[in-house]
Amino acid sequence: MEIELIEIRDFLAAHHPFDQLPDEALDQLPGKLQVRYFRRQASIPESGSIDDHLYLVRSGAVEIKNPQGELLARLGEGDLFGYRASHMEGHAEFTGSALEDSLLYLLQPLEVDALCHAHSQFAYFFEPAGGDRLRDAISHAGEDGSAQLGLMATQIGDMISRAPITMPPEASIRDTAEVMTRERVSSILITEGNHLTGIVTDRDLRRRVVAKGLDTNQRIDSIMTAAPYTLDAADYAFDAMLHMARSNIHHLPILRNGEVAGMLTATDFAQRHTTSAVYLVSSIYKQDEVSGLAAISAKLPQLLLNLAAADATANSIGHVITAVVDSITVRLLQLAEEKLGPPPVPYAWVAAGSQARSEQTAKSDQDNCMVLDDRYDPELHGDYFKTLSRFVCDGLNACGYIYCPGEMMAMTDKWRQPMGTWKKYFSEWIDQPEPMALMLTCVFFDLRCIYGERELFLEIREHLLNKTRGNQIFLAYMVGNALKNKPPLGFFRNFVLISGGEHDHTLDLKHSGIVPIVDLARVYALAAGSQSINTQDRLKEVAAGGEVSSGGAHDLRDALEFVSFLRIRHQARQIRQGTAPDNFMPPDDLSHFERSHLKDAFSVVRTMQNVLSQRYLR
Amino acid sequence: MSIWKHLFSLEERRNWWTRKMPACPLRDFYEVPFPDRDLEWRQVDYLALDFETTGLQAGSDQLLSVGYATVRGDSLLLRDATHILIRPTIDIPEASAVVHGILDDRAAEARSLEVILPQILQALSGKVLLAHHAAIEYEFIDHACRNLYGYPFVCPVVDTLALEVRQFRLRDQAIRSGDLRLANARRRYGLPRYPAHNALTDALSAAELFLAQTAYRSTRRALRLKDLVVVS
Repeated sequence: MEIELIEIRDFLAAHHPFDQLPDEALDQLPGKLQVRYFRRQASIPESGSIDDHLYLVRSGAVEIKNPQGELLARLGEGDLFGYRASHMEGHAEFTGSALEDSLLYLLQPLEVDALCHAHSQFAYFFEPAGGDRLRDAISHAGEDGSAQLGLMATQIGDMISRAPITMPPEASIRDTAEVMTRERVSSILITEGNHLTGIVTDRDLRRRVVAKGLDTNQRIDSIMTAAPYTLDAADYAFDAMLHMARSNIHHLPILRNGEVAGMLTATDFAQRHTTSAVYLVSSIYKQDEVSGLAAISAKLPQLLLNLAAADATANSIGHVITAVVDSITVRLLQLAEEKLGPPPVPYAWVAAGSQARSEQTAKSDQDNCMVLDDRYDPELHGDYFKTLSRFVCDGLNACGYIYCPGEMMAMTDKWRQPMGTWKKYFSEWIDQPEPMALMLTCVFFDLRCIYGERELFLEIREHLLNKTRGNQIFLAYMVGNALKNKPPLGFFRNFVLISGGEHDHTLDLKHSGIVPIVDLARVYALAAGSQSINTQDRLKEVAAGGEVSSGGAHDLRDALEFVSFLRIRHQARQIRQGTAPDNFMPPDDLSHFERSHLKDAFSVVRTMQNVLSQRYLR
Repeated sequence: MSIWKHLFSLEERRNWWTRKMPACPLRDFYEVPFPDRDLEWRQVDYLALDFETTGLQAGSDQLLSVGYATVRGDSLLLRDATHILIRPTIDIPEASAVVHGILDDRAAEARSLEVILPQILQALSGKVLLAHHAAIEYEFIDHACRNLYGYPFVCPVVDTLALEVRQFRLRDQAIRSGDLRLANARRRYGLPRYPAHNALTDALSAAELFLAQTAYRSTRRALRLKDLVVVS
């Protein structure tokens, strides 16, 4: 290359995907370009539809339209079009025209082929559907590398280092203590065959045997904690951590396929225990005052920062942040019960919306409700539950989870009802759907039991899923709802381009990126009767069930992870700058790489919205 | 230039010199016919060319570097874009070094005009010389040819500055000082800003300006080479 083409080389190097090329390839590239000029309003190329040359806008602006004349994209400096145009969605004949006087660089399709062949990072950019490109973007964006965040991704089975130390129930207390001493363990599992019957810890020996002067020849099962809480080896270490913090226990028996697999102890976490999320959660259960909880929740932004800095996936950050509000909710309910006494009839405290889906980021509104046992009598029990729910909702509000503007909260009488009433609600919503009502209540189609009598919640969920599964009429309404939020077309200079050619100054990551995917996943899940709530889980599950193509579901998951990742990064930046985190991202803050991947994400969502609209709204 | 220019066409003079001249790079250049003046402009190859010099006088000033690239049809091809430093026979005056940034030690590594001129002529053969204010480039090549080979240089020329003047006249617009400068002309067509005063960058700048000018020429009737050339 002539060194004087350095100016063109630098231009290429500053734009995606050319930034993915190694220096030698970049040096060669300018010499392969042709330069073309198109005056304002000229069609590009002159001969009708866009050919397979790769076009790079050096200056000016270009519009791409489909044969129906609909605007598909508006391209500015550094944007690309052309190459493999005939492979793009719809196999349509796209046409280009110069919106302004434009100088374009052209690269022969054979040259692009050769570059793609030699440089896989570069090739990803030209993958047809965008799915692989998004996957690439996500791996680019960061993986769970740190040991701390490993907790979210680590299965408990991988943390258990040794075979379980066990004793039969008929063994004596003394023999058990001897084995524990020899094996240098602070707890031991009591098993019959492979079946777990109980657990004994150092503390039990101290409190139940020594302090009481018990005869150590007695059977060990007389002093064990019978039927202890267990987790499965496939569960995540983070869940174990949360449970141990919540219940203030230090030993957790782990099962694999129902058989004893080992013991997880607090010391297993010792090396990794610095995770601020875990500290935060364990300290929540030590608080006796709402003010203490509020002080902890004030640390959430810092937690988000740490997680973002550690390159956690957006999905795992959602789980961690939501675990904190879950814990605050549970603690508030515990405190309320301490004050008011035990509940007169069983109840379930149920989270709705993003908390239910484990997708909270920076603080958000509270959405919750209460399902009461059908023995509930408003005359007798009304005050108790009103006071209880008021206490919890007020507490959440004090912690920054502000009152839901739509009053979708347990403290609202309408959303604190016995199971029979809830079933009636869902029957009405599902059997006689009304667009307006559905828009308001769709938050109640994402539910997760946080505390209380889980059976109450499960029965409601069973009821509603039975009604929605394959219910074409209801689903058509939900689809209509899901199509309300359309992703933008892409970007043009420092604007967000929305269909019809309008411009926005900021990108609403929530409503134009995340909500459409969440809405799609909800429809799939309700159609399939899936019990998953988290959007990633829903998409994973429905893909296996055939409700949506597995490729489509995979692309949507990648799109969601990418947009969520951008949102977290955006909010982390705002937190660092001391401003309140929001969902509005100026396009200026996006790199070329991110812009092009956002466009991919949008196109995935658009495609899946179209598929759904064709299936249900014809 | 001589009176012959007015009596004989460019092509006739090319034939004349071909017959008259002993073997030399200039005669090789004349062996290839000039592009047909009646061709539609897109069917012609152009060589966008720019020199950096020690001054504007072809007689006394020296060439320091040359940059060129081919325009084929309505495309500028960067494939054979070339930039060559030329070794001057005198020290580079400070005033010009400030403009083009070519310093003595760098120029010293360059080859002499004797070696480079044949390369330029070969690149130019069969093409139209394209430059902004092309008289300078034309005169420097002519001067070099007379010095080295003893014969004058003729070639069809498209001058983007002259085309720009025509645009102003067509629109009956007054030309103000600076209007015709390459950077200012480019701005009128929405072309990007480049760092000036590198021979290749300036050659590419002129080539892009030419693409813009032709795109803006009204296309009611076919635009022919003869509508664009200044020296013929």
